[in-house]
Amino acid sequence: MVSTGLLDALTTGLVTGSIIAAGALGLSLIYSIAEVPNFAHGDMITIGAYLALVFNKPAAIPFLPDSVPLVGTTSLAVAGVLAVGLGATFSAGYELTVFRRFRRKDADLITMVIVSLGLALILRNAVLFLAGSKNVSYATEPVRDVFWDAYLSGFGLTIQLTQRRAGEIVTLAQWGYAWWLAAAILAAAVGVGYAVYRERSAGEGFDVVHLVDPRVLGVGAGLATLLALAALLRFQSGVVADPLASTRVGTSWKDGTVVVVTGLAMLALNVLLKTTKLGKAMRATADNLDLAEVRGVDVDRVQLVVWVVAGLLAAVAGVLAGWSASNVNPNMGFSLLLPVFAAVIMGGIRSPYGSALAGLVIGLSMDLGVYFLPPSLAVYREAIAFVILIAVLLVRPEGLWGDV
Amino acid sequence: MALADFLITLLTFVAIYGLFGVGLNVKYGFTGLVDFGHVAYFMIGAYVTVVLTMPASVQGYGGIGGFDLPALFGALFPGGALVGWFVGIAGGMVAAALVSLLVGVPTLRLREDYLAITALGIATILTAVFENEEWLFNGPFGVRSVYQPLAGVFPVSLGSFTLNMVVLGGLSVVTFLAGGFLVVRYARDAGGRTRALVGAAAAVFVLWYFVQPLLGGGMVELQTNVMWLFDPTAGPEGGLDYDRFFLLFATALLGAGYWWVERTVNSPYGRVLRAVRDDEDVPKALGKDTYRYKIQAMMVGSGLGGAAGALYAIQLGFISPEQFASTLTFFAFTAVIIGGTANNAGVILGTAVFWLINSGTRFLNDFVPSEFSVQLAAARLMLIGALLIVILYYRPEGLLGEQEYDVGVADGDAPPDRTTGGVAGGGTDD
Repeated sequence: MVSTGLLDALTTGLVTGSIIAAGALGLSLIYSIAEVPNFAHGDMITIGAYLALVFNKPAAIPFLPDSVPLVGTTSLAVAGVLAVGLGATFSAGYELTVFRRFRRKDADLITMVIVSLGLALILRNAVLFLAGSKNVSYATEPVRDVFWDAYLSGFGLTIQLTQRRAGEIVTLAQWGYAWWLAAAILAAAVGVGYAVYRERSAGEGFDVVHLVDPRVLGVGAGLATLLALAALLRFQSGVVADPLASTRVGTSWKDGTVVVVTGLAMLALNVLLKTTKLGKAMRATADNLDLAEVRGVDVDRVQLVVWVVAGLLAAVAGVLAGWSASNVNPNMGFSLLLPVFAAVIMGGIRSPYGSALAGLVIGLSMDLGVYFLPPSLAVYREAIAFVILIAVLLVRPEGLWGDV
Repeated sequence: MALADFLITLLTFVAIYGLFGVGLNVKYGFTGLVDFGHVAYFMIGAYVTVVLTMPASVQGYGGIGGFDLPALFGALFPGGALVGWFVGIAGGMVAAALVSLLVGVPTLRLREDYLAITALGIATILTAVFENEEWLFNGPFGVRSVYQPLAGVFPVSLGSFTLNMVVLGGLSVVTFLAGGFLVVRYARDAGGRTRALVGAAAAVFVLWYFVQPLLGGGMVELQTNVMWLFDPTAGPEGGLDYDRFFLLFATALLGAGYWWVERTVNSPYGRVLRAVRDDEDVPKALGKDTYRYKIQAMMVGSGLGGAAGALYAIQLGFISPEQFASTLTFFAFTAVIIGGTANNAGVILGTAVFWLINSGTRFLNDFVPSEFSVQLAAARLMLIGALLIVILYYRPEGLLGEQEYDVGVADGDAPPDRTTGGVAGGGTDD
């Protein structure tokens, strides 16, 4: 009988990390460009999750008037897109009504912290007011987990795709990779990854900025090669009996979507920051607000864009978190706030890329920690994020990657 | 329920959370440490004091303790039970201060925003530890056996009904007169707008507290309101019941904490704390070890928070980890900012305003169907969040502004200060 192991914990951690990374991207933008350590970010995530609920399952929100146009049961994908748009609009509202005024008054960092705290109180209780404190979930098709059971035996690597149906484990497919084939695929993947990295990093200098960092591109190309070859060269044969080692990884297309959506959000933000004039203005403002203003950057507009993008990313994180956990409640954002802050500080507050990477690291370490620690300590899952944060602050307060 | 009872509950809240706020003010107001984990010390103070004063074996409690200090000291000498309780509260304060030392050593070197987030995280983790570790303090089941100091003595009766009424009622009237005098004196010294505001608040209070019962024809209620210390239903002859005594007791402790902090900030030591807050490089350049000052301020503030926690446990009679959510810290920050950062009197005023909003709107519960109680609570907190932002925008110094200090900067060249009558070295630095 196969049981779940380290690989399964890694996969769960990747999903957790993706959600944290989506939150951390937005927070790091606000933190570095708008210079607000935004304690309301967790509640912006909650708001995003509930906005999707408005369109997806209006019955869950008692205070919603019945006759609002557009409100009706829509699929989560449509509801999610609407929620992201609305979340961005709301976020623009926070900037215009609150933070812009305080910035005009040259409020210091601590004032901004406490203002964002007041906003957090308002947002969380607005959710409580309108939707109550119940745990609800989106109206979606139930998603079944698919188990990837991997067996290592004298033959090589065998992967069995299984699923639980009505209590029984059903085998969907079985692929075998003989030793030499598995080794060849792995070697090809590493080779392609390294070649891409070498090719891309060759002409790099301070005047050449790649859209995607060569390291990221290298790892991505390697992984893509691995998956493509594994899919092309799969054979039906394989040996499952008496394996040397076996492990089970539970995933679903829900998990895949979470990771892919976060990846796309990162890529889109990357394009915005690196290829557009607005992105250049944002980076200049993050670097030195006064200098940017002197050089003709419309700082107010840049800040508005920052809040819009951050609200958008927060809503993405909220919808993903609510969907992934099948649970939406008024405290979900606040419980994400600490890991998200930990990711931003760990990645270095000036670097959205660092924050996203640190978000993945923190999500992975939370789930790996639960896997490695004794079960009695599993309740301290969030504390793990925190211990990492404190360790990072003590050793490298500028973040692991510094200014990237 | 008479208004007097409501007022007593409210004032007890104000005394407890006022002490909590004064503790926060030492950290945030005077030293500039944004401790978003202040509630952790409130929780530690409550738990440690309760466990130190609790009997050895209590049904349904499986945590550390039951040290029964009041009985231990009570056996030694008369009045020892109270001394035992004070030792218990001192234990709670010391525990809170020591934990804050552990927290402060690594975090107080950090930037202010990093300190805020780490402190919030540590408080969240500590609450989780108290919630999950049953061997520690009984985990989620909490502690139900809270020792109430002097509980056996009450209700106190001085003799006959008339004597009780005259003495306690007379004392009540004296408190109103003294309060009125203080308000009038403050309003006289203050500017026009403040004077109008204070006058309006006083008028509302008088209308609500004295005139409104009259209109309802409730002479008995008016009498209870005026003679708030005297409870005719406590015992055969009437007298002072435990709630009223506890209010006095909590107020006395708040007074002691207030006095201690005032002494601290009105000293050269307090001047260094403020210098650390305003610009840490300056005291550093003058050879002060600012890190040590920060740690000491953290410990003092946390100790006061612990004392407030001990009082809170008595008032509620039951403690469990979920009562100590981070919202309490944010409430204290709101109270400090409403009243005036770095102003101890302002903190107490801010706490009063805060709890007046938070509990004073509870009478609305009578008019709103009970299924909307969650909505009402949420609306209240939204109001408080909005108030926090509005105050920070329009009056960042709070209602009272920063207080003035007795201790000035020694400065030979400066002309004699008017307020201190030209005493050498006198003057206010703010």
